[in-house]
Amino acid sequence: MDEYKIVIKMFNNQKSKINDTIACLYISSKYHPPKNLIKHLGKKILNIKLLQIIQNTTPNFPMFTQAELTTYNGKNGNPAYIAINGVVYDVTNEATWAAATHFGLSAGKDLTNAFASCHAGQPILNKLKIVGKMADE
Amino acid sequence: MNKKTGNCPNFSMRQKTASVLVNKVIDKINKENLKKSNLIWLELTGCSGNIISLLDGADPNFKDLISQMVNFIYNNSLMAAEGEAAIRRLFSVADDDYILAVEGAVTTKDNGIYNIIGNWRGKPVTAYEAIKQLGEKASYVIAVGTCASDGGISAAKPNPAECVGIQSILNKKVIKLPGCPCNPDWFMGTLAYIMLCGEPELDDKARPLMFYSTLIHDICPRRPYFEKGIFASKLGEKTCMFKLGCRGPVTRVDCPITKWNHRVNWPIGDDSPCIGCAQFGFPDKMKPFISYNTTREESK
Ligand code: HEM
Ligand code: SF4
Repeated sequence: MDEYKIVIKMFNNQKSKINDTIACLYISSKYHPPKNLIKHLGKKILNIKLLQIIQNTTPNFPMFTQAELTTYNGKNGNPAYIAINGVVYDVTNEATWAAATHFGLSAGKDLTNAFASCHAGQPILNKLKIVGKMADE
Repeated sequence: MNKKTGNCPNFSMRQKTASVLVNKVIDKINKENLKKSNLIWLELTGCSGNIISLLDGADPNFKDLISQMVNFIYNNSLMAAEGEAAIRRLFSVADDDYILAVEGAVTTKDNGIYNIIGNWRGKPVTAYEAIKQLGEKASYVIAVGTCASDGGISAAKPNPAECVGIQSILNKKVIKLPGCPCNPDWFMGTLAYIMLCGEPELDDKARPLMFYSTLIHDICPRRPYFEKGIFASKLGEKTCMFKLGCRGPVTRVDCPITKWNHRVNWPIGDDSPCIGCAQFGFPDKMKPFISYNTTREESK
């Protein structure tokens, strides 16, 4: 519910970058069918083209199982991914994650709890690239 | 100072921060009746690295500090007195005004019995008792180095003596100067500022903003390599050490500017990644210090 408001606010503020929108929409869609959200937004947005981009891009995120995620540990030339609240982020080139490690944490894992312990309420995830979603196992 | 940064006011002015403040204090002492402060330097559970580092200070240097700025009451490594005579001197100012600098963490296990710093009236004095007693009465407490600030190496896993940073056992604000060791500029600049104006502006972790406000990564001379994705694959290469595990992007302090040993060099300038020695959580949270097997594509 609140996610709707956030997305709408982003549009109203004219700050929305396509990436942010997709990210936001994507996170929301964990709880709401994306179609409803898009319908809701449709009233607010004149830019139909943007809407199409969102519609076309959303379903393309791959799903990861826990086991698959472990291979993206930043070792042996693999990229470094981490999962937070069901969304998979790429930290391969994130400066604070040098050598795929950050304050004793390493990539290739679900770090939802660790993230909440130090960064709760900080808007830093939107600077990371989203690469997928965790599959319900 | 290297050629590239020679004209940058951010660099040239910040290199002088500590010496400007120290000279101002000395000037005021000579001309305006500013009183020399009593300084006690207590070493708890550490390696004496911070006092050794302080001796290496240049512009401002240690000689200016002890001869013109403070009455240096006590330091176990440097003072002439020893045994009970030294401890007597330590407690001699307990009723006066004094600034307390502390290096090393506090061992708390079994009432601090694992670090005895001397004998007083025939009884052993633990580091724990000393910091409790002298810390609460001091006009300012400065934690010098990472162990005093946050436990540091002394509190690294498995931490058998249950070491903690001094803030954990004191009921008053501790100004923190993390770094392994603390740079002489950070200590002398902070002390001089206190003598001139009182408490300096601090961040949310009680570090003086004048030295600890900028990420190393944001003032690192190798930053252009980072932006272009040109990364070192082994020690000794002159490019960005991000893939080797550089902690410059999470470490806030101005060591690319102040540098070390008479401003000769600093870790990244000598092709070694930053290991985050001035970041809270060092060393455990900054590990691994070096990684070779990372996201880099294998060379063919
Ligand atoms: C679990 C997933 C985590 C992610 C994805 C993450 C991500 C990040 C990012 C992107 C930044 C840079 C922030 C910025 O640009 O402003 C950052 C900084 C930081 N992180 Fe994390 N983090 C995580 C966990 C943690 C944990 C568990 C801790 C605490 C132990 C921590 C402590 C810090 C600190 C202290 C900084 C700031 C350093 C500074 O600028 O002074 N992080 N993190
Ligand atoms: S060497 Fe370290 S501090 Fe310097 S640019 Fe690279 S990652 Fe940042």
